[in-house]
Amino acid sequence: MSFASIHVPNFMVQAVLRGETQLRHRAIALVEGAPPLVRVVAATEAALRAEIQLGMAKLQAQLCGVEIRQRSRTQEKAAHAALLDLGWSISPRIEDHAPETIIVDVAGLASLFGSHENIAHEIVQRAAGLGLLVHLAIAANLETAVQAARGFPGITLIPAGEEEKCLSSLPVRALSPSVEALETLDRWGIRTCKELAALPVLELSERLGQEGVRLHELARGASTRSIVLAEPCELMEEEMELEDSVEDLEPLSFLLGRLLDQICARLAARSLAAAAIRLKFELGDLFEKDFQVLAENVPANFANGKDARKIYKKVLQLPVPMRDSKMLLRLLRLQLQADPPPGDIVKITLAADPARPRSTQGGLFVPGSPNPEKLELTVARLAKLVGNANIGSPELVDTNRPGEFRMTRFVPETNEPGFRRRNRVARKKAAAGATASGANSEGALRKPMTGCRIFRPSVPAAVELREGCPAKVFFRGLCGRVVAASGPWRTSGDWWRENSWHQDEWDLEIEFYIANAGAGGSAGLYCVYYDSDCRGWFVRGVYD
Amino acid sequence: MYTELHARSAFSFLEGGALPEELASVCVERGMAAMALLDRDGVYGAPRFYLAAQKLSLRAHIGAEVTAAGGWRFPLLVETRAGYQNLCRLITRMKLRARKGEGHVSDEEVAEKAAGLICLTGGREGPLAYALSRGGIESGTVCVRQLCEIFGPTNVYVELQRHLDRAEEARNHAALEIARKLRLPVVATNGVSYALPEQREVLDVFTCIRNHRTLEAAGRLLARNSERYLKSPDEMAHLFSDIPEAIANTQLVSSRLQFNLSDLGYEFPKYPVPDGKSQMHFLRERTREGMVKRYGAGSEKARAQIEKELALIEKLELAGYFLIVWDIIRFCCEHNILVQGRGSAANSAVCYALGITAVDPVGMDLLFERFLSEERGEWPDIDLDLPSGDQRESAIQYVYERYGKLGAAMTANVITYRGRSAAREIGKAFSFDAETLGRLTSLVSAWEYKDENDTLTRHFQDAGLDLQHPQIRKFLELCVKFQDLPRHLGQHSGGMVVCQGQLDSVVPLEPATMPGRVVVQWDKEDCADMGIVKVDLLGLGMMAVLEDSLKIIRDDYGEEVDLGRLPMDDRVVYETLQKADTVGMFQIESRAQMSCLPRLQPKRFYDIVVQVAIIRPGPIVGKMVNPYLKRRQGREPATCLHPSLEPVLERTLGVPLFQEQLLRMAMIVAGFTGGQAEELRRAMGFKRSEKRMKDIEQKLRSGMEKNGITGEVQETIVQSITSFALYGFPESHAASFALLAYSSAYLKCHYLAAFTAAMLNNQPMGFYQPATLVKDAQRHGLRIKPIDVTCSEWLCKLEKENESFSVRLGLRYVKGLRADVGAEIVRERNLHPFVSIDDLKLRVPAIRKTELATLAEIGALNFISEARGSHRRDALWQIERAARNAGPLLERCEEAEGSVSGENEATDGATNAAVNSPLLPMTADERLVADFRGTGMTVGPHPMRYHRARMKRQGVVTASELNNLPDGTHVRFAGGVIARQRPGTAHGFVFLSLEDETGIANAIITPRLFEEYHVVIVHQQFLLIEGRLQNQDNVVSVKVENVQGLAVTQAETTSHDFH
Repeated sequence: MSFASIHVPNFMVQAVLRGETQLRHRAIALVEGAPPLVRVVAATEAALRAEIQLGMAKLQAQLCGVEIRQRSRTQEKAAHAALLDLGWSISPRIEDHAPETIIVDVAGLASLFGSHENIAHEIVQRAAGLGLLVHLAIAANLETAVQAARGFPGITLIPAGEEEKCLSSLPVRALSPSVEALETLDRWGIRTCKELAALPVLELSERLGQEGVRLHELARGASTRSIVLAEPCELMEEEMELEDSVEDLEPLSFLLGRLLDQICARLAARSLAAAAIRLKFELGDLFEKDFQVLAENVPANFANGKDARKIYKKVLQLPVPMRDSKMLLRLLRLQLQADPPPGDIVKITLAADPARPRSTQGGLFVPGSPNPEKLELTVARLAKLVGNANIGSPELVDTNRPGEFRMTRFVPETNEPGFRRRNRVARKKAAAGATASGANSEGALRKPMTGCRIFRPSVPAAVELREGCPAKVFFRGLCGRVVAASGPWRTSGDWWRENSWHQDEWDLEIEFYIANAGAGGSAGLYCVYYDSDCRGWFVRGVYD
Repeated sequence: MYTELHARSAFSFLEGGALPEELASVCVERGMAAMALLDRDGVYGAPRFYLAAQKLSLRAHIGAEVTAAGGWRFPLLVETRAGYQNLCRLITRMKLRARKGEGHVSDEEVAEKAAGLICLTGGREGPLAYALSRGGIESGTVCVRQLCEIFGPTNVYVELQRHLDRAEEARNHAALEIARKLRLPVVATNGVSYALPEQREVLDVFTCIRNHRTLEAAGRLLARNSERYLKSPDEMAHLFSDIPEAIANTQLVSSRLQFNLSDLGYEFPKYPVPDGKSQMHFLRERTREGMVKRYGAGSEKARAQIEKELALIEKLELAGYFLIVWDIIRFCCEHNILVQGRGSAANSAVCYALGITAVDPVGMDLLFERFLSEERGEWPDIDLDLPSGDQRESAIQYVYERYGKLGAAMTANVITYRGRSAAREIGKAFSFDAETLGRLTSLVSAWEYKDENDTLTRHFQDAGLDLQHPQIRKFLELCVKFQDLPRHLGQHSGGMVVCQGQLDSVVPLEPATMPGRVVVQWDKEDCADMGIVKVDLLGLGMMAVLEDSLKIIRDDYGEEVDLGRLPMDDRVVYETLQKADTVGMFQIESRAQMSCLPRLQPKRFYDIVVQVAIIRPGPIVGKMVNPYLKRRQGREPATCLHPSLEPVLERTLGVPLFQEQLLRMAMIVAGFTGGQAEELRRAMGFKRSEKRMKDIEQKLRSGMEKNGITGEVQETIVQSITSFALYGFPESHAASFALLAYSSAYLKCHYLAAFTAAMLNNQPMGFYQPATLVKDAQRHGLRIKPIDVTCSEWLCKLEKENESFSVRLGLRYVKGLRADVGAEIVRERNLHPFVSIDDLKLRVPAIRKTELATLAEIGALNFISEARGSHRRDALWQIERAARNAGPLLERCEEAEGSVSGENEATDGATNAAVNSPLLPMTADERLVADFRGTGMTVGPHPMRYHRARMKRQGVVTASELNNLPDGTHVRFAGGVIARQRPGTAHGFVFLSLEDETGIANAIITPRLFEEYHVVIVHQQFLLIEGRLQNQDNVVSVKVENVQGLAVTQAETTSHDFH
């Protein structure tokens, strides 16, 4: 048995620079975090020499004169996938050990690649082709290969029986001991694998337990474990390149149906279902008019790229995992009808996020609720009619800002116990929030509540004041005399943000009249406010 | 005209955004003649509000919002003194039975204490709003009826507030209806929570802190708008233009509120005198007895002084006060507790005779008026120094017992927001992560000297926060606004107030966090301002050291030392002081003191008094130090400002050094009385009122003119008095401290082992870290032995070998070792010695693995199996097995084996321990690292000792060699930093004390160099410095020209920084 461990040092940096390997020697620091608290999380050697320290603020890093890049988890994921591809391109037996490390079973590859040395060079070369600079170690012992690849640069070939000798100079830390064990070893003055290997194992086990024995084995290169084979393809993805581009929905539906059938079959084979369907179209040439449409559908990281114009993405989030290809196709069709791709499609990529299928059974005596799949279909149809942003469940936001709410995904209560509990907790939280803010305490006095129909967005108005009080109101082409006024009701807040607000609301009884025709129009009770920030009057709504 | 009757200050702790003074001044600016302060559950801010209002001619009404059982709060206004007393008692009752910061009162309790109080129906948190929310207008009516029953219908006002809020207006409608129905008057208030609209932001952040939320998550907990500021009468009249009687009624209510804080009704307790004698008679008797003891029968001067003082005491009716202090002293003496009065009390011969102080004011010709004068009309201030720790606590508990739980209490200490605390708490509200907050707060400097760059803005930049970002800018802005706002109430370290009868009727009392302690709601300045007598029972580390030293000397040396009878002319002591060999000595051990001692060359006790007083901001800022030292060294003539001042300034060579001299100067040149002179000192000292200062200066000048002192001489004298008054140090205080300084020096010189052990047992205290004290003692030939579980006690102790003493370090220095485990180790070992580490673990089962590991690492377990040549790593190897818990099955086996083997247990343990470890012994540096990590010090060689050969090759000299080099030599020196200072008086210069194996050297860093090497100087523990040697009058220091960090050891040595 022989194993090759492939390790990508400084993985975060390499993931970002995979496409620009010429920048590896430049001083570049990777940052992460939400502004203003952005910190350095990784850096190139040159940057570290320029006194960059991990954890320092972006501002400080900039002062060191290094180039700043954003950490990209997507690129890390891609780099990891590339690493796995590298492994699979060599052998079908690989272990996905860590994001930056994989193990490849290279036994029996001699007939393909020659000696271990040749295999190692082949791997390093292929890795370079993928934009990765790797450390590699080949050993008969799997763990030894891992430790050596992590601990030594370049290629390390460890002949069988020389594992202990080879690892002797490695620091104990490289064996990834627990913090407690590392502290104990440090107190003992045990700092290298050689020193650890020299300890009597029985007495070590009396002191550090099984971890001691494991570390001892690792340090001697004597650990025995089998390779844990990686399951290929966690993400179910199907692609189709089209010889002739497709523009209409009907032929597209046919193609999508085929792809969905394949994906659902794969999911069924592994007893899985799709929690989401990710659709990606590669488009042919676009016209200028279509840019705006695309901008709304393209994720931020594509937005500035050259290819942004050619990619169209759509994600279909499902309320419950499902694998009914016909249902999925109908949902996709509805989405695409509401928001069609702005050009000819030349390539389709369809991926499913695998998840465990729904397995609960409805109670016999529990009132029936709509079938979630059908409900989702209905919601999708409505979304097609009114637009995605205008459908869902409105939810009040805990703020004093008038009229503030947000739309959340409409998820009906189901009979699933976990779901019911979550809903109960959410209701309790909402109630607690209301009590804490004193909303309940004011309830008793506000029993005869009047309904207020809110105009969204608020209607701009012109208001004439008399002694600080609105006297005449003009909006939507109407003129009205204020018969009675109550206010101002003042709210202000979010002063720590840029979008703070400051509004004076008035409840006005307005008697409308037609301009130039004197009095005699209709009357109404309106909520009108003055926004100090935009220095304008608006009608918020009308009372019933 | 409108009067604000419902305002909260920042003393509502996180519920108000402005200080009382700020409220008072804005109130006056807005044209109001009166205002009422109603803080939550207390009158914390009342004295400050009252004093500020007095200065501004504003009528300060007092009251409080008192929390009821239902969660609402009664807004209560004090109408009469009885009402104030009721309010204080009500709050006290509520506070004393609840946990700190909690508690509520029942309706019955309120009814019982309702007399003299006016109740408003409150705003959003008031009883009416609460009732309306529960049951609408019916419930509201019932609630107001109940209030009328409790307080009487004439003492209830229906309160209306308008913050431009719909729900509130709905409440107002209901309130008006109820008022009409019950024929009650309405009154408008603004429910003020801050002085200015922009302070709403402070209140919002307070809300977040109180509710442990971030601003983003606080939602509707935050204020709806910024309307709770102090509005002008016009604004209020406009707001309530439809209900003008609500505004007019504020005036009526205000006119009813006759009480103010000058009418507290405080009375100092009467001392119970036996046999029906008067207190004065009893005091005279005790004083005469003391006088005979102190002065003998024949001292006419003392007798006259005492009679003069007694006459004044009688006139001011202060006999009770003196007797009570005397009583505390008597208690301490009876219980063998060292006690010494200090401060201005040491100016009094009566205090000296009563044993309150140890300095003879007659012999030293001290000025009594500094302590007590007829003109001042203030209570005298007596501070008592006691050994810190249990003994001070027993004195405090004695006072509690003597005057009852409601008759005595500690004064409060208001904890306010400072740079770090403000940044930390506001940062949390702004959702900053812990790392950023940690970085930021660690950057907020604690140097005494602040250069122009040492600002919050700079710290924010250093922490990597972008000041261009609006959120960060707001954060910074709030940090500045938060400065000095109260955060919570703490307990003053020693200030006690006592009262005749019930202290809880003078000021509300609260339980302190410390069990058995009760604290008043005012701090010591407030108490003093309100005329409440305070006795400071201060814990002084050196007193504890002296007491412990005496005990050790008694027990180990078999000698009895009486501090009251020490020879005051001990040659060894003065030689030691002249050499500035004063590490560990009270008040004269700092770098600045050490650099002065060789120039001052103390030869007698009075020189120590001068020495203690001269290194103070007063003489330094007043530029008195150098003239005095030059005159002392005979380098300049000892001339006097005016011939008439010679008697006063003669003993300080014509240079005024003490406050008493200033008073006497005023008395001589301007004919002031003692009281007037003290008034002058206070006026100058506190800069309270420029007008007052000018008036007094004018008096001084006209007095001098009457005495024929004019022109330049007059100007010089006035300059001298006014500039010095600000920072002067009282001679009596210096004399009290000098006594302690001499005692500590005497003990260190003659009983080094006892003194060192006592010093180490009372850490933290003083200027140096224990590591420095140990090295200093070793350099003086004392052997310090390491911690050893086979013989160390919890405290450090003496061991006698060949007629000489050594100090064995105690287990208290083992970092992380719990005191009860330490005591258990000692107890078990005293039963019979431990034979192995397993044996120790078995017999002290509470010991944790980390504790065992630290003991092993510092070598404290080496000697359990000494015969086998055990080293620290052997012990570390063994403890890992000993500390590993056996599983339940094996545990039972072990227990069974233990019960069967009985006697053999020890032998088994020994056998287990016999297994040699495969680990190598620690290297010298590893031992050093382990010593510092486990104990914060080493008894082995100084870290620099290991590098001496290398240092020599680099031309680095030792601290002892520096003393023998001529002034101006270019030197290189290396050592560990033991102290860093940037005094406020030194114009940005930084002073470092560096230690090597031969002693301590001082380094001076210029502001420019500090700016350049800031990180190295502040963060590196070992430094290599280069520069010019300055050797003036045997005061040696290096003026640094270059500095670099030095890699000496990984050991985490510590220094004492930022004084």
